[in-house]
Amino acid sequence: MNGFLEYVPGNSFLHRMNPVAKLLVSFIIVITCFVTKSFIVLAAILVLDAVLAATCGLTKQALGLAKAVAIFSLLLAVLALLFTPEGDVLVELPWGFIGTESVLNAIRIVLRLVACAVPLFLTFYVTKLTDMANAMVKILHLPYKYAFTFTSTVHFIPVFMNDMSGIMEAQMARGVEFDGGLAKRISLMIPLCVPLLVSSVRKTNSAAIAAEVRGFNLRSRTSGYKEYPFGATDFIAFAVGVLLVIVGIFVPL
Amino acid sequence: MIEFKNVCAAYDGEVPILKDVSFTINDGDFVAFVGTNGAGKSTTMRLCNGLLKPTSGQVLIDGVPTTELRVSELARRVGFLFQNPDRQICCETVRDELLFSFKAQGNAGPEAEERVDQIIETFGFDPAAEPFLLNRGTRQLLALASIIVTAPPVVILDEPTTGLDFRECEKVMRIVKALHEQGTTVIMVCHDMEVVADYAQRVIVMTGGKAIADGPTFEVLRNPQVLAAADLIPPQVVDIALRLQQAGAAPASVTSANTLTEMASAIGAYCAKGGAC
Amino acid sequence: MIEVKDLTFCYRESSEPVIHHINLTIPDGQFVGITGAAGSGKSSLTYTLNGIVPHCYPGDFYGSVTIDGKDTCETSLTDISQLVGSVCQDIESQMVSSVVEDEILYGLENFAVPKEEVAARVDEALEVMGISDLRDRAIAGLSGGQKQKVAIAAILALKPKVLVLDEPTAELDPASSYNVFSLLKRYATEHGITVIVVEQKIALLSDFVDRLLIVENGTICFDGAPSQVLEHADELLALGVNCPRSTSLSVALRQMGLYAGPVCKNVEEATAMVKEVLR
Repeated sequence: MNGFLEYVPGNSFLHRMNPVAKLLVSFIIVITCFVTKSFIVLAAILVLDAVLAATCGLTKQALGLAKAVAIFSLLLAVLALLFTPEGDVLVELPWGFIGTESVLNAIRIVLRLVACAVPLFLTFYVTKLTDMANAMVKILHLPYKYAFTFTSTVHFIPVFMNDMSGIMEAQMARGVEFDGGLAKRISLMIPLCVPLLVSSVRKTNSAAIAAEVRGFNLRSRTSGYKEYPFGATDFIAFAVGVLLVIVGIFVPL
Repeated sequence: MIEFKNVCAAYDGEVPILKDVSFTINDGDFVAFVGTNGAGKSTTMRLCNGLLKPTSGQVLIDGVPTTELRVSELARRVGFLFQNPDRQICCETVRDELLFSFKAQGNAGPEAEERVDQIIETFGFDPAAEPFLLNRGTRQLLALASIIVTAPPVVILDEPTTGLDFRECEKVMRIVKALHEQGTTVIMVCHDMEVVADYAQRVIVMTGGKAIADGPTFEVLRNPQVLAAADLIPPQVVDIALRLQQAGAAPASVTSANTLTEMASAIGAYCAKGGAC
Repeated sequence: MIEVKDLTFCYRESSEPVIHHINLTIPDGQFVGITGAAGSGKSSLTYTLNGIVPHCYPGDFYGSVTIDGKDTCETSLTDISQLVGSVCQDIESQMVSSVVEDEILYGLENFAVPKEEVAARVDEALEVMGISDLRDRAIAGLSGGQKQKVAIAAILALKPKVLVLDEPTAELDPASSYNVFSLLKRYATEHGITVIVVEQKIALLSDFVDRLLIVENGTICFDGAPSQVLEHADELLALGVNCPRSTSLSVALRQMGLYAGPVCKNVEEATAMVKEVLR
C-alpha cells in the first residue's frame, strides 16, 4: 500500500536511530562509495545494505530500488565502457578502444550507484518526515521554514501523483488512449496539466492557510515536543561509517 | 447490459477490494449503489467501464469481457461522470470541452458539432465561457454534459450530487432522470438517501467489498438487517415508517408508505375513515 | 462572545461585495449551523469569523468583527488562531504530517503548550474523537471519515474557545457524518465551547444545532432555532435550501388540517407527531 519514499512504520534499530545520525551515516556511505576504488569495500557495502534492509524488513523495497538503480547505472556504465579508453587494449573502436580499466570502471559505476542509493532510500523509509525535519531544526539549527518547505513538498508528491492518475483515469473514461508512442502520449498529457495545475494551486493555498491557523509563524527551534538525543547506536554507527571511509580510501582494490 | 460474474478485484494486486461480486444490470435500469466509504462502490464503478480489470471473474459489457475492449470502445459504450469535475475538464472553452469528448473517441465531424450545439442549448451554457471560471455546480453540469454529449447507452455517475447545493442537485438529477426516460441505463453511487429514494428503481447495497442486498429500492431500504449490516441511514420517510411499525403505533397503510405524499395521504385517509381524529 | 457589526466585505478581485451589512452576535457555548445556496457567501462569512478574511484573502473590509473583545483586523491571524480553531474544507491539504500523533502534536508545538501538558492533550483529543487506536497509523492509509476526525482532533487539542468548521462532512458518508456531528456536539456541551459549522446537509444541521443561520446573497435571511427557521420551509426552498422530509411531512399534515403543532426538525419529532395525529 505504501508509495514511493513513504514512511514504513516499524521498530527496528534503524527506525529507532537518531534521524540526523541516519542521514549523516548514509552520507558517509555515499562518500565512501565514491572515494573507494576497492571492489572488496563496494561488495562489503552491498552486503551491509542487504543486512540493513533485512533488519527493518524492507528487503523487497530495497531489491526493487536496487534493480531500478542498476538499470539506470548500466546506461552510464556502457558510456564509460565506450568512452574511457584506459588500461590494456581489449577491443579497438573507431574513436579509441575498450581497455581492461574501462571494464573495471564500468563495473565500479554500477556497484557504486547501487551501493550508495540503498542507504539513502532506506533512511527515508524508516524515518518519519516530520522527525527528520524536526531533528534537523533542533540539532543542525536548520531554519524551520526550509524544513517545512521540504516536508510539505515531499508530503504533496503522493497527493499530486494521485491527482494525476485520477485525471488520466477521467480522460481514459472519455476515450483518450494513453497507450502508444511516447510522443503521442506526451501530446495527450499536456492538456491534462491544466486541471492538475488548478488543483495544485488550490491545494497549496489551503495548505498554507491551514498551517498558519495552527501557529506556523510561532514555530521556533525549541518548539518541537520530541527530543532527538544521540544514543550509543548512533555513535557506533557513526564510528563504523568513519572506519568505512578510511578503509575505502586506503584499500587498493 | 453489464454483467458481473464472481468478480474479485484489488489495487496493485494486494489488498482485495471486491470479493466475489455478481449482478446483472439490464438495459434501461436505474440502479443506485449505496454503502459506507470504502465499501467498494467506486471500485465497482471502475470495473463497470473497464478502467480496472478484475483479478478473477468476469465483467461483461453487452456480452464482451472488458478485458477485450479498447479504451475508446469502452468510452463509447459506457460514459463515466467522476465525483470531481475538475479532473475531467481540460479545455479552454465550454464548446471545446464538449467537442473534446468526440475527439477523444476519434469521431469528430459535422455531426459532432451539431450535437454539441444541441447540448449547449439544452443545458443553457455559454459556449465561449472558460470552464475553470464557472462555479462548482456549473462545472459539474458541464462534466455531465461532456459525458452525455456522445450519447453512451450506459451512464455511470460517481456521487453526482456531492458538493452541490439543493438547486444544483435538483438540476443534475432532473437531467439524469430525463436521460433515463429516453432509455439510457443509469448506474450511480450516491450517499444522499433522499436522492436514491426519489430517483433509483433498484438498489445494490455494498459493505466490506461484497454486495449484500440487491432489489427494488424500497424493498432494500426497508430491510432493517441490511440497513444495520451496511451502516446505512434510511431516507427520513422510510425511517419514520419503520419506527412507527416497530412501535405498532400506526396502521399498515401508513407504515407501508415510502414517500412523503404516500404517507401524508395514508394518514389523511385513515383519519377521514374515522380514526380518532 | 463573537460580535459582528455592520460587516461588509468585498474580495479584491471581485467588484461585488460577498457580504452585505451583516450584524450577528454569537454568545459563548452556542452550536451554530450556517447554510445557504452555493455562492451565497456562507463560507466567506466563516472566513471573517476565524480571521482568514482579511488576513489571507485581502479586500475591502467595512464594519468590525470582535472575538472576546479583540478586533480581528487589528489582531494577527496567529493570535486569533489561539482563540478560534479552524477546520478547513480540504482535509487532504491541511495535513502536515505522515502519522496521526504528529499531526495532533503540530499545533501544540507551535503554540508552545508546556511540555508536561502536551501528552495529556494529545490523549484527550484522540479520545474525544474516538480515534485513540489510530495514534500510530499513517495518515495516507486512513479513510475519509478517519482523516476528518484527525483534522478535528488536531484543532481540539489546542483547546480553542471557538471552533469554526467549513463543510466538515462534505466527503463523508451519512453514518460517518452523523458520528462526527455527535462527537462535536458532545465535546462542545461538555467544554462550553462555541461551534460554528457551515454545512450543506440540512437534515444534519436541524438535528444538532442550537441556532440555524440561512445566508443568501451575503446577508442573513433567517436566524433562529432550527424549528423556528424551518417554519419558513417555502421561503427557504425559494432560496435554494431544502428542508428535511420530516419538516415537509409536518407541513403537509398541517395543510390537511390534521396537525397544528410546530414543524418537526428530525425523524424523532416526526414519528412522535404521526403517533399523536393517529391517536
